[in-house]
Amino acid sequence: MTRIGVYVCHCGLNIAGTVDVEKVAEYARSLPNVVVAKHYTYMCSDPGQRIIQDDIKTHKLDRVVIATCSPRMHEETFRKAVGEAGLNPYLTEIVNLREHVSWPHTSEPEKATEKAKALVRMGVARVRLSEPLKKRKVSVEKNVLVVGGGIAGIQASLDLANAGFKVWLVEKAPSIGGRMAQLDKTFPTLDCSACILTPKMVDVAKHPNVTLLTNSEVVGVKGFVGNFEASILKKPRYVDESRCVGCELCTEVCPVKVPNRFNEKLDQTRAISIYSSHAVPKIAAVNSGYCLRLKTRKDVCGKCLEACEAKAIDFSQKPETIQTRVGGIILAVGSEVFDASKMCEAGYGRFPNVISNMEFERISDASGPTQGEILSRKTGQPPKNMVFIQCIGSRDKRFHEYCCRVGCMVSLKQAILAREKLGEDVNIYVCFNDLRSFGKGYEEFYRRARDMNINFVAGIPSDIRMAADGSLYFDVFERGTNKLLEMHADLVVLANGLVPSEDIKKVNELFHASRSADGFLLEAHPKLRPLECSTAGIFLAGTCQGPKDVPDTVAQASGAAAKAMDLLSSGEIELEPLKAIVEKDLCSGCRVCESLCPFLAIEMKNENEDDAEKVRAEVIEAMCQGCGLCGAACPTGAIKIQQYGNKQVLAQVDAVLTETDAKGGN
Amino acid sequence: MSLVDSMSMAKPNLQARERILAKLHGRELLNCFQCMKCTSGCTALKLLELKPHEIEKLVNLSLVDELVSSDIIWTCATCLKCVQRCPQMASPYHVIMVLRNLAVEREAKVPEAFMKAVSLVLESGLAETTQKITTRTMQVCERESLKLPKIGSPRESFQAVFLKALEEK
Repeated sequence: MTRIGVYVCHCGLNIAGTVDVEKVAEYARSLPNVVVAKHYTYMCSDPGQRIIQDDIKTHKLDRVVIATCSPRMHEETFRKAVGEAGLNPYLTEIVNLREHVSWPHTSEPEKATEKAKALVRMGVARVRLSEPLKKRKVSVEKNVLVVGGGIAGIQASLDLANAGFKVWLVEKAPSIGGRMAQLDKTFPTLDCSACILTPKMVDVAKHPNVTLLTNSEVVGVKGFVGNFEASILKKPRYVDESRCVGCELCTEVCPVKVPNRFNEKLDQTRAISIYSSHAVPKIAAVNSGYCLRLKTRKDVCGKCLEACEAKAIDFSQKPETIQTRVGGIILAVGSEVFDASKMCEAGYGRFPNVISNMEFERISDASGPTQGEILSRKTGQPPKNMVFIQCIGSRDKRFHEYCCRVGCMVSLKQAILAREKLGEDVNIYVCFNDLRSFGKGYEEFYRRARDMNINFVAGIPSDIRMAADGSLYFDVFERGTNKLLEMHADLVVLANGLVPSEDIKKVNELFHASRSADGFLLEAHPKLRPLECSTAGIFLAGTCQGPKDVPDTVAQASGAAAKAMDLLSSGEIELEPLKAIVEKDLCSGCRVCESLCPFLAIEMKNENEDDAEKVRAEVIEAMCQGCGLCGAACPTGAIKIQQYGNKQVLAQVDAVLTETDAKGGN
Repeated sequence: MSLVDSMSMAKPNLQARERILAKLHGRELLNCFQCMKCTSGCTALKLLELKPHEIEKLVNLSLVDELVSSDIIWTCATCLKCVQRCPQMASPYHVIMVLRNLAVEREAKVPEAFMKAVSLVLESGLAETTQKITTRTMQVCERESLKLPKIGSPRESFQAVFLKALEEK
């Protein structure tokens, strides 16, 4: 005879404020097989868990129903507690009284209590048919694939490599460094970005545990947590990496001019060049879209071949695919900067002296196109009046609703740099909406900007206009003074926000990494699992998860690395037993499940030697996440999900449709 | 009441605000975060002192009554820049139009100039009377002398439709 215990949690007032928990417990006591039903302030607390554990022993319970918050919150907690008391953890049923009852029905406490009773009745009906399950252990590969070689990827790789894990670091560009390498200084300490980043770039490239693949992309991922199989496409550089010494003689003779991507296309480089002055690896690469020889596929030009003393240039290089097995994956693919030409009133793209904040970084950087001199693009002279305009493409429902989290601090930093470089005679204004200086040392940095006579105008201009002489002017209504100010500027810097990169769609498909409404990659839980992707074994670092600054990116990258170590350090992992299982005799081989499975966990196998066409579905246990799509779709009912089979679910349906007379049962 | 305008002793009118929101067919007005982009670009600000951000805030605070009876809501030039550029799609223009309708409903005094414009539309179909043309060399001349097409008067059916539209609330 089944003996069930029911436990109703108050969750402080979260549940008890709406649902009459006492009545629910009393009702539960009247349900068949329920031998004990209790309610308590916080079931998840230590004393709460102990109530359940003690009851399991004293009342000889063999099933437990806990009516509390969402199972996403504490199912694991309660399973563990039940397991410690000697019962199979999978004989626990969570009934969600918080997200499903008290929170959505605060205004109708009586009906909410009735709904709570019905849900408890369903939980009891289901748990009666629950089966004891066991977790299975599988061994894992003790190495990690890090996708993206910006500061996030570099930091995560270094942490993992230092801890003894083998790391594959894959970067799309010919050099690592990412966005941070393009920055001049970093807030709030004004450290030179290159000075703090370059040593890390060198360290990661030289580390014996790191295999660095630049000019490469991940093109395929198969397998599951602990046992991923990745295909990495190494695109040809047309330069032999073992021979190139980075002398740039080839760049000097190359006749083909190419917009310089590293300098935000503000100047030009050549079709064969080194990515930037502090590139790692410092090896030239040929831009196949521009090189005459590669574009025409004819034996032309060849000036670089003559100039290269190391004989490193090799036009016969072919793309190469590298296969590797890894236990975990860290996604650090970064983000892009908003393209302000989409916002026509800002004038970007129409007026040469309206520039983006990223362009300002390159102009201000000593290794940039102006060797660090801030010059107006129109006149070639230093500006006399500079204006920074905030929230371009951010906090704007027409483009991106979120706050870019870096724009305010970037503009403060750039205004300070401009004051330092251009001197006291220059007028510098910041037109802002709300100035958000939330981080450690950031408010002090804001004060430092005010100390430096940088003027803050509370208001955003409606549009930027250009006068006949090429200077810029606009009206802005200032909320401190209630006045409409006409402002003139010879350089306007737009605080463009961060937006998901173009590649994020590919990443989403390749790694089954879901995206949130803002387009960035979605973490498994915004507060409690911020470093993980919902697909097991995949972790998130840096701005691909959401806009963030350098300190936050580095912190998240180290966190993701630690998470990966946590997963892989023991050499084996436990798999959830709630999986799909196929009853082979019923499977018709229709492949519906195969096409539906979002985790590619279904394989069609041929086991009949006489009939090569005859296939049957098989679940790859380690990849199955137990989502149940296949089971719902299977036309022959051959697939069922452990614990969520027809018998358990129909028992629940029966329970909700049969208004049980509390006394008599049914 | 939790809030009073100490300068005029005006009190919030919560019902009026709800009515305005209902007429707007959307609650974007609540999203206004006072960036003042609308006022920075307002065509009617320099001459007529219309501050659209103020109208948004006053309606959000339910300080509606004074606004409805004021002349300021009639100064909007309907250039629609605020509709295009508002980062929160909270369009002050639409709020102003609802306020105007509310003013008519309450039989508040509609400025004479506006009434003139309305009767002119009724008569001629135009918001402005046809004027003489000043050329680049500052010569004043009639349209006909420049061989510009004649502007016709509206059909009778137009007046009927126009009057019917005015009656609808």
